[in-house]
Amino acid sequence: MADIKILNYALQSAQGNLQNTIHAIKNSSLSIASKRVVMQDEDIEIPYFLLKNRVEDNFKEIYKALKDVVQESISGLDDIQKQKTALLLGTSLVDANLVKAVESTLYEYKKTPYYSQKRSIDSFGKDLAQELGLNSFTMTISTACTSSVNALLEAKNLILSETFEYVIVVGVEISSDMMSNGFSSMKLLSNDAQKPFDIARDGLVLGEGIASILIGKGDAPWSIRSGYSNCHSVNITSVSPSGQEYVEVMQKAMQEGGLTQNDITLLKAHATSTPTNDLSEMNAIAEVFDPSLDFTALKPYTGHTLGACGVLELAILIGTIEDGFIPKTIGHTVSINRDYIPLLEHKAFNGNGIFMLNYFGFGGNNTSLIIQRELT
Amino acid sequence: MKLYVKAISTYRSDRESLDIKKELKRKYKLDTRRQDSFIHLSVFGAQRLKESAEIKKDDELFLTSGVGNIDVIARTNLAVIEKGEFIKPFDFINMLGNTTSYYVATSLGVQGKNIFDISDSFPVLNSLILIYSSLFHSKKEALFGSIDLISESEELIRRVMGIAMDMPVVSSVNYQKLSLQNSDALAELEFSAHSYSKEELLEIVNRNTERTIYKSMRCKEFPFQANDKFFATDASYFINYAISNKEDILYIDFFEGRYKILKVSNL
Repeated sequence: MADIKILNYALQSAQGNLQNTIHAIKNSSLSIASKRVVMQDEDIEIPYFLLKNRVEDNFKEIYKALKDVVQESISGLDDIQKQKTALLLGTSLVDANLVKAVESTLYEYKKTPYYSQKRSIDSFGKDLAQELGLNSFTMTISTACTSSVNALLEAKNLILSETFEYVIVVGVEISSDMMSNGFSSMKLLSNDAQKPFDIARDGLVLGEGIASILIGKGDAPWSIRSGYSNCHSVNITSVSPSGQEYVEVMQKAMQEGGLTQNDITLLKAHATSTPTNDLSEMNAIAEVFDPSLDFTALKPYTGHTLGACGVLELAILIGTIEDGFIPKTIGHTVSINRDYIPLLEHKAFNGNGIFMLNYFGFGGNNTSLIIQRELT
Repeated sequence: MKLYVKAISTYRSDRESLDIKKELKRKYKLDTRRQDSFIHLSVFGAQRLKESAEIKKDDELFLTSGVGNIDVIARTNLAVIEKGEFIKPFDFINMLGNTTSYYVATSLGVQGKNIFDISDSFPVLNSLILIYSSLFHSKKEALFGSIDLISESEELIRRVMGIAMDMPVVSSVNYQKLSLQNSDALAELEFSAHSYSKEELLEIVNRNTERTIYKSMRCKEFPFQANDKFFATDASYFINYAISNKEDILYIDFFEGRYKILKVSNL
């Protein structure tokens, strides 16, 4: 496969921009906010990684925040290159445009005169392409927590087929009452903190995030080596306890890249800290890798940013390695598998390597991505 | 870019009077619990495709829609925001676009790549480009579904579709089985990532006089035939229409001043 390079990346997380986020991770100086959610019997305050630069859940504010991040990622492109750049967005965001249309149509007290304009979740992409001078080809992919990593794999295909020279892949997730109440209704939220692969894990902490990654056939140390996604689960929310469905994507991603488990320098686990998904992922890791594997989890630093986590966690991993370290897994004390313990201290790293990144979501969407760093 | 169509299925609510949920239970013996009308329509179209298509476990599944499942957003908005109620877990799950893809994949027995995508401008033609690029890499085959469901309030769907308040709308689902290989294919689809100005489009039209030309209802220019009722993914309907009627066509899609074209040639 031709090398598809990661040319640039940018992000905004609860810890701030890329530099601030790396600094916060390195020094374990994390910011975390909270949010009130509706539970069956009472409202409760839950921890929530809200963006440092607050963004309200409306089209205008989300668009502005997106524009800042995308602009940073495409800053190295000239006008001609921008015209050869498609935009793919990955999100599980509830469409603010639709909510507005619902409110102005169905509720008498919010009723507005009939006004019609084509709007969808992809309107963010379309408007960004227009304003920033990108190619008009935009698409939004919605596959729950794998949305933006799947967008990245589709972006790679668009370049391999020579349809576009560059693709900017954007992941975005902003807090909405519907999303936080929805996760709460499924009893997946921790009232405390994320504890990846820990015997005391009790759920995830949601997070907001925006990240973008520019890929193309340029010259850069980081490349996308391979990736595989499937739709395989035992029901709409879970895979089997053995994690066979995760084993399949990890093995096929390595197979596509001509790799074996011994070639993997580090695994970035999905690690939601929910009892069932962490168990399935740990069992899958134990089937694919031997206990000498280095693995870590990034969600305790930013929260689970859902559809954005694909490119956000990829950008964070690249950024921290560029800074000379692999982040430790915070919140972990006693592993659910005594032979497999995630990194408990930051690990200095300055060389070449091959890195697997796992992402798993509702709806049976499972994806494993493999990237490579080759310094000249 | 070229893709080959191996099988098709079509349903329009104005052409057939069916209770989709009942049909899923009666004809296809499927469990319809915990799903809603958008999911039912999507699964129904897939089951119709299965009647004539060879479905493989690793087929890639792509679904697109003009707007997606807007009724579930209306329902949850009413419950959570207006009434301050506790959201129902399955309403929450059904809000996610790929929930529909999950039920479609499960009903077909496929476990390969599964993508739910939306494009503001050209949902069907841009999806075809994504599918072409994916198959170019994987060498597999794809199942492509295009779904539009009229919401319980027709005004709501018109508001978000960018159409006139009096434009008739219809629910529709169209599927194709697609391949890069032309063996046993029904038709060839030809398309590109380019969009055209009015002048460029006229040149293309003049070079394709042997084809019947159809256009999207969004396109107010040109005296070509369009659908009589609106749905955002009607490019997918016209693929199936051309194949069913053995008619070689040029379809013109239009959005905000730019045109895209799709050629369908029967084999």
